[in-house]
Amino acid sequence: MKEKGNTAAVTARTPVIGLPRALLYEREAVMWKAFFSSLGMRGIISAPTNREMLRLGAEAAIDEVCLSTKIYLGHVRSLFGKCDLILVPRVSNYGLHRNMCTKFESLYDLVCNVFRNTGQRFLAYNVDVLGGISEEKAFVDLGMALGFGRKDAVRAFRRAGRAAAEDWHKKISREERLYRTDQIKVLVAGHSYLTEDAYIGRPLFQYLEEMGVVPIRADRVDRKEALRQSVRVSPTIKWEMSRELLGSIQMHKSKVDGLILMSAFPCGPDSMVNEMIIRKFPDIPILNIVMDNQDGTAGLETRLESFTDILKLKRGEL
Amino acid sequence: MARERKISFPMVANYNSVVKYFVEHGLNAAFIMPPKLTRRTVEIGAKNSPDYVCAPFKTLLGNMVDALEAGADTLVMTMGLCRLGYYAELQEQILKDLGYDFEMINLAAYSTGKNRDYFKAVRRLNPRVSLGRLALTFAECLKMVEHIDEIEEEYYRNCGFERHPGQYKKVYDRFLLNMELARNVRDIEAGYLKAKREFQAILLDKPEQPLRVGVIGEYFTVMDEFSNLYLEQKLADMGVEVHRWMNLTHRNIHYQGQKNLGVQISEYCRYEMGPTSTANIWCAKNYAVHGFDGIIHLKSAGCTPEIDIMPVLQNISRDYKIPVLYLTYDSQTSDTGLMTRVEAFYDMISMRKQVVQI
Ligand code: SF4
Ligand code: SF4
Repeated sequence: MKEKGNTAAVTARTPVIGLPRALLYEREAVMWKAFFSSLGMRGIISAPTNREMLRLGAEAAIDEVCLSTKIYLGHVRSLFGKCDLILVPRVSNYGLHRNMCTKFESLYDLVCNVFRNTGQRFLAYNVDVLGGISEEKAFVDLGMALGFGRKDAVRAFRRAGRAAAEDWHKKISREERLYRTDQIKVLVAGHSYLTEDAYIGRPLFQYLEEMGVVPIRADRVDRKEALRQSVRVSPTIKWEMSRELLGSIQMHKSKVDGLILMSAFPCGPDSMVNEMIIRKFPDIPILNIVMDNQDGTAGLETRLESFTDILKLKRGEL
Repeated sequence: MARERKISFPMVANYNSVVKYFVEHGLNAAFIMPPKLTRRTVEIGAKNSPDYVCAPFKTLLGNMVDALEAGADTLVMTMGLCRLGYYAELQEQILKDLGYDFEMINLAAYSTGKNRDYFKAVRRLNPRVSLGRLALTFAECLKMVEHIDEIEEEYYRNCGFERHPGQYKKVYDRFLLNMELARNVRDIEAGYLKAKREFQAILLDKPEQPLRVGVIGEYFTVMDEFSNLYLEQKLADMGVEVHRWMNLTHRNIHYQGQKNLGVQISEYCRYEMGPTSTANIWCAKNYAVHGFDGIIHLKSAGCTPEIDIMPVLQNISRDYKIPVLYLTYDSQTSDTGLMTRVEAFYDMISMRKQVVQI
């Protein structure tokens, strides 16, 4: 897709942008794709996570990083040689008490240092609202760094923003419908890059469905409202994505039979927020799942089965 | 008349004398000195904390239990970057679930982006507080912090080389006690000058080029000697000149800021990677440039920002050919395990130095 007037800015060959299908991808994909395509650029997305990718990522990573980072590095590596630039965003915060896990602050420089001698080039955008850099400014700067004019970049950002909002709206209403089924419903609260990950999170959803349980994603929620609700439960909680999940639990707790907390070992925010959730919601059955190894799902099935049994028992269905 | 509060603040490094001074003189309230950290503190903290939260959370929680048992009825807990900013609320929840009855003044709840909102927290501690006195005491506290940091720096650089063992330690301990007992700014200054004078009089057997090691890492663990199992003392006892930049003076009172430090390490990173990342990377490079014999990077287990700068430190290590020892602390880290690794590191850097000198 090409916009009128921007072709002049593009040099001999338009660089191909690589998008790692990990971390913020699930959250921002629509935005990124719409932004680059309205600038007339091409992108390539890494394949869904598989065992080999995770192995590659773990090999490149410092052993102590969270599982999500290992997966991310695997995706980055799998894009080598397939694109000119790999997009690695840096997001510090979206405002006061709207921080990201520090991982998203460090990610760009982390990746550049890990892959310093590979010759691969990376592309960043930087969101730091408290530091005076809004999301719009971040994207416009990105567009201009790629050689486009300010006007084109602004237009691409706005267009992408609209596409993302529309897509999000659809996703929430699809999720909202799930709350109305009569089946056993479980709210799954986890970062979208875990719940949507083909190797880590999807198997959990499949197991649940096979057992006749409807899993509902907590992160697919009216974000503004969730942020508002979150501070009623926990006034000083400071991470954007944790606030969305916590707020969503508060909004939906009476509409589901149980709650599954899903995190990656050793996740910084989750190590605290999940503890808070367990203490604040004593009346909902909660299953706390921490994914920490490469063969992800061993033992998971048994735990899900007994959890489902508890929920059925509570409903009088067992 | 409202009862007088008994305020405590969990123990961090050597700074509790400063907090005591501030509470007693600035707030005109009673301060309960939290008992010194012990294994028990760590065990109680770990037992009641979520599994994989970073270690400072557990230690501070244990210390809060200690302080409450020592009679405190009000705990003050700091706000902070990173997870630290959420410590207080979860700690309060855990302590109240355990059945403790107290009031928590959580500075994170007053972090609105405007500094004057912190004054509201102060008002809650003592409604009749005088602003002038508060400001004056605060300035005196900053002085005390600077003195503590300066004396501590001098101590670790030299105590490994004294001719008569134990002299440095004696002066240092007395200095810390003097700070704890200080009743006015004259006491603070006198204690500081005395320690400076006494340090100067100690005879040293220091080689012209001693082994120099720079210690960097996670804010809490690197500053708190109990939490890092007296790493700096261990090094000094082996005959090392130990340098550590990270303290309140450098990182908080006179911090040069992200921009000024950031430009000096722009070949390694483009952005601020985390709360103390820029400072630590800058320090590591600085030690490397100045020909130090080694760097020790320490952190508590699961500390995301410090784990994330490790690839950068590895690159600095490669570029300047300087050895880096990476230490991770959790509540199970043993003294012997640590000692083995530090000794091996010491052997390696001292052998390298001999080879380089020949
Ligand atoms: S939020 Fe948790 S899982 Fe996500 S990047 Fe941070 S530490 Fe890793
Ligand atoms: S800097 Fe490290 S130890 Fe401190 S709060 Fe953050 S993760 Fe925890």
